[in-house]
Amino acid sequence: MNTLRVNGVTVARGAGPVIRDVSLELVPGRITALVGPNGAGKTSLLEAISGVLPIASGSVHIGPHDLTRQSRVGRFRRGLAHIEQGRAVFGGLTVLENLRLTARTGEQVDQVLALFPELAKRADSPAALLSGGEQQMVVLARAFAANPAFLLIDEMSLGLAPVVFTRLLPVVSRFAAEGAAILLVEQFTHLALGIAQDAVVVSSGRVTHQGPAPDLLASPATLHTAYLGESR
Amino acid sequence: MLQGALAGLAAGGLYAVLAVCLTLMSRLVRVVNFAQAATGMVGSYLAVWLVVHTGLPEWAATLGGILLGAGLSAGLGWIVCTWLAETDTGTRSAVTAAVLLLLISLSFILFGNKPQPFRPVLAGPAFQVGGVVVSQVTVATVGLAVLVALACRLLLGRTAVGVRLRALSERPTTAELLGIPAKPLSIAVWAGTGLVATLAISVVAPSQSNDPTSLAMLVVPASAAALLGGFRRLDLAVGGGLVLGVVEGAVAQSDHLSLVRYFLPLLFIVALLLWSQRKEVWDAAR
Amino acid sequence: MPRVDRRFALPLLLAVLALVLGWGLSVGLSGYFVYLGMSAVVACVAILGLGVVTGSAGMISLCQLTFGAVGAWVVSALNLVDAPGGFLVWLLLGGLAAGVVGLVVGLPALRLRGVNLAVVTLGLAAAADVTLVQIQFPGATEGVAVQRPGPFTSDRAYFLLCVIVLVLCCLAVHLLHRSRWGSAWKSVAFSERATAAAGASVRTSKLTAFAVGAALGGISGGLVTGQVGLAFPASFTTIQSLALYVLAVMSGAHLIDMAVFGAVLWVAVPELLKRWGVPQDWGFVVFGLFGVQALASGTNLGLLLRRRTGNEIAPVAAEVPPAPEPVPIGGPVLTVRGLSVHFGHVTALSDVDLDLPEHGVLGVIGPNGAGKSTLIDVLSGFLPRAEGSVTLDGRSLAGLAPTRRARLSLRRTFQQDRVPPGLTVAAYVRFVARRRLRGEEIAEALAFFGCPPADTPLARVDVGARRLVEVVGHLLARPRVLLLDEPAAGLPHEEHLAFGRRLRQVPARFGVSVLLVEHDLDLVRAVCDTITVLDFGRVLASGPQAQVLADPAVLKAYMGETELA
Repeated sequence: MNTLRVNGVTVARGAGPVIRDVSLELVPGRITALVGPNGAGKTSLLEAISGVLPIASGSVHIGPHDLTRQSRVGRFRRGLAHIEQGRAVFGGLTVLENLRLTARTGEQVDQVLALFPELAKRADSPAALLSGGEQQMVVLARAFAANPAFLLIDEMSLGLAPVVFTRLLPVVSRFAAEGAAILLVEQFTHLALGIAQDAVVVSSGRVTHQGPAPDLLASPATLHTAYLGESR
Repeated sequence: MLQGALAGLAAGGLYAVLAVCLTLMSRLVRVVNFAQAATGMVGSYLAVWLVVHTGLPEWAATLGGILLGAGLSAGLGWIVCTWLAETDTGTRSAVTAAVLLLLISLSFILFGNKPQPFRPVLAGPAFQVGGVVVSQVTVATVGLAVLVALACRLLLGRTAVGVRLRALSERPTTAELLGIPAKPLSIAVWAGTGLVATLAISVVAPSQSNDPTSLAMLVVPASAAALLGGFRRLDLAVGGGLVLGVVEGAVAQSDHLSLVRYFLPLLFIVALLLWSQRKEVWDAAR
Repeated sequence: MPRVDRRFALPLLLAVLALVLGWGLSVGLSGYFVYLGMSAVVACVAILGLGVVTGSAGMISLCQLTFGAVGAWVVSALNLVDAPGGFLVWLLLGGLAAGVVGLVVGLPALRLRGVNLAVVTLGLAAAADVTLVQIQFPGATEGVAVQRPGPFTSDRAYFLLCVIVLVLCCLAVHLLHRSRWGSAWKSVAFSERATAAAGASVRTSKLTAFAVGAALGGISGGLVTGQVGLAFPASFTTIQSLALYVLAVMSGAHLIDMAVFGAVLWVAVPELLKRWGVPQDWGFVVFGLFGVQALASGTNLGLLLRRRTGNEIAPVAAEVPPAPEPVPIGGPVLTVRGLSVHFGHVTALSDVDLDLPEHGVLGVIGPNGAGKSTLIDVLSGFLPRAEGSVTLDGRSLAGLAPTRRARLSLRRTFQQDRVPPGLTVAAYVRFVARRRLRGEEIAEALAFFGCPPADTPLARVDVGARRLVEVVGHLLARPRVLLLDEPAAGLPHEEHLAFGRRLRQVPARFGVSVLLVEHDLDLVRAVCDTITVLDFGRVLASGPQAQVLADPAVLKAYMGETELA
């Protein structure tokens, strides 16, 4: 079974590196929570994996395939999907059109709509008119419809009420249980760690801790240092 | 006056077709293509050259010209997609201004700076309304404008490719992350608009002033028309082109107003800009 | 004072040298080359104008020779009626007339982004083209040639006159580039928001650039009439305007020497082609190709020739100076009540209240997406559709544009890098500060924050230091209130605390009150007296630092431990 391996990746943006020498591995069926304070470089890391940002050094592999120099489309075709921050729906397209961008068959569309019955009712309305929660569902459903082996999710909860967010988490869990490897960046740290098996803590562009998610949840000191600074 | 207005309708149809092309380019590949009419001009000149120098039949030569127009546009699209993928509309459009210069100069070299010996593809009247003659060219261009606009609407609204193009224009990065190949699709848009523009110019060029500069500068009234639709709406772009043509035709009837005629597209543009920009907007990016 | 002298001495020296060179060429060259030289000099004036519009202010202008035609028309008309003042006065009037036409054409393009201005100018060029052919220049049909002025009637003398005019134009452009206008042009080309935030009007900045560019075009056209006697439309066609634009872009004509070089190309390329027996139209093809290349690679000859090697300059980690006598914290300067912002269905800010006390430092913290940057946008006037009230020193800011707010002493910085790379540190600081500054004052403030020296070009300064320079500029404006949006984001983490200690001294040193949006809690802890926590656009907690940071609800929100109902 293929895994996605990030080996010593460094990403430069503007003046200096925003990610330094980060390594991690995504394993099918498991959720990895990537946590750390604002500005730690979590989004940049996801963007480097999916090809939005160029990688300055290091490599990204899926199984034997080197993705480091591949295009975004090439990486997608290797089974990688990236859900960006901020509900990236195509507002001018209807819900159905959004889903058909990735779904190959009508059946696949029905399958993902079954996960979010709320969307079925609004299938023909432009995505721009949906509520924030519904838009995030469209984005998730659209990614699921592509049936990716590796899924990067960036701040799914951004700007959503916690209640809506808790509606989405179990769906992500189930998708992993069906065999996908998921890298989850989330500001609701505890909720993310709650559904994850593995945890990676980043701070100032470096990995400061790596280990099982339940352990991190049980020892808040590590997290406090990362989030609240050293003087705490 | 009415005769003049109807005579202007042929030009108006051409403006409308070009305006549709400009609108598509602006919406789908984020560029105001100043070389839109110039590519059509070069393509239609090639057709004339083929007829005169190789004795190719009219239809085959025209087809060759149209293919050249599409190819030129696709080549330009390739350059823009390869080197200017991440830049703003301004820089991309500035490149097309340089290409406009290049194409006009090239056609001076290849074909001379005089009007070309076009043999009309279409000639003669189509029908008469109340004693006023409507030419075949008028019917063809107006029909083409409406047809192209409708076809684009169907393509964008109903087909999988159209949906992908709309997705790409809205969020290029997200679309690529979903496996939509940006470059081939964008180049296809360039090629498509190049093809349509050359076709329209080939139909109308025989019956109007067809020196290289005049043809290349058709992009000015066309952008005036496209501006009416905010470079977004196809129906308004078609409407704007037709109205502009008709008004120009009517004004051309009067000797006192002949200078005004030259400035009509500019006045149209300025008026539209003043109206559409009346509120101060802060561009998030800058 | 000697520094100031040297700053003006060098351009003057170059001007004198240019005049001597011009005189030497006028007597030394053969008649044919003198005539060619005239064409180059005339073109150079026009390219200089384009350098201002496209090079400095970053706008696309495709009708430079139409402005030339305006100048030529005015000179021809005044010559025909033999107006008083003579050629030089007519030339000046031609330039002025072109400048006015530029203003009128630029007016609708005020708030327009580049492309719309390109459409307008191309439309003008095309219309003027056909119009000129129809109406012709005054005196052209009658054959009344324009008289060259008194001592400059011969070709050689007229060439020298052209050089003199060119040198004067270059000096004028050089001085303008040094002035507030010049800084505003470079600023507006890089960021409209930052221009407004520095209290400069975006509209005025663009208009002045466009008018100056047009006026130079007009002067160039006026000179053409003296050169050829009878002006013809063929000298002012659209395609030549396009070529001139492309040439200006590829040579980097905002630099005066590159404008001169561009003008040499303008004349030399067709001349060489003619000698080689190649059709001259190839000249424009060559320009077109190089123009595409220059635009596609985002560079130009000027940049290539002046590219400096060496690393980017980072902020200097110096000792933090001892704190001055602290100033007492006063009553509220900035008061916010019931502030709400909606984007469609999304509520970005909801019923926010804050008070920024005089000489205080208020920290605004909160998770991603809590509305911190939106808050700064609203306070600085970039989101005019917010509900609620904002008062500065008791005066309501309702309905005031960003430029007005900046002039009323409410300043802000940006999270993204919006510092124009085309300026030097000192020029930028002076532009942002909007008041007379002594050199020592600037140097002192720069040194205090560990910024690079005043004469460093900003293009060589790294992002972290650039954002410090931005802070220094706004502080030197001595505003009542400064809003800082993550000012330390570009600095290495280790330097955040040193920056915080400097920031701590800012109220006492500069007399301002600071609102700091920041996500590094170490920094916030080091700087802020009071803290307001935003979460989902609402105020979650507000009060003295220790109290707020000890609040369990705050900890949970910040750590993402939010309890769910």
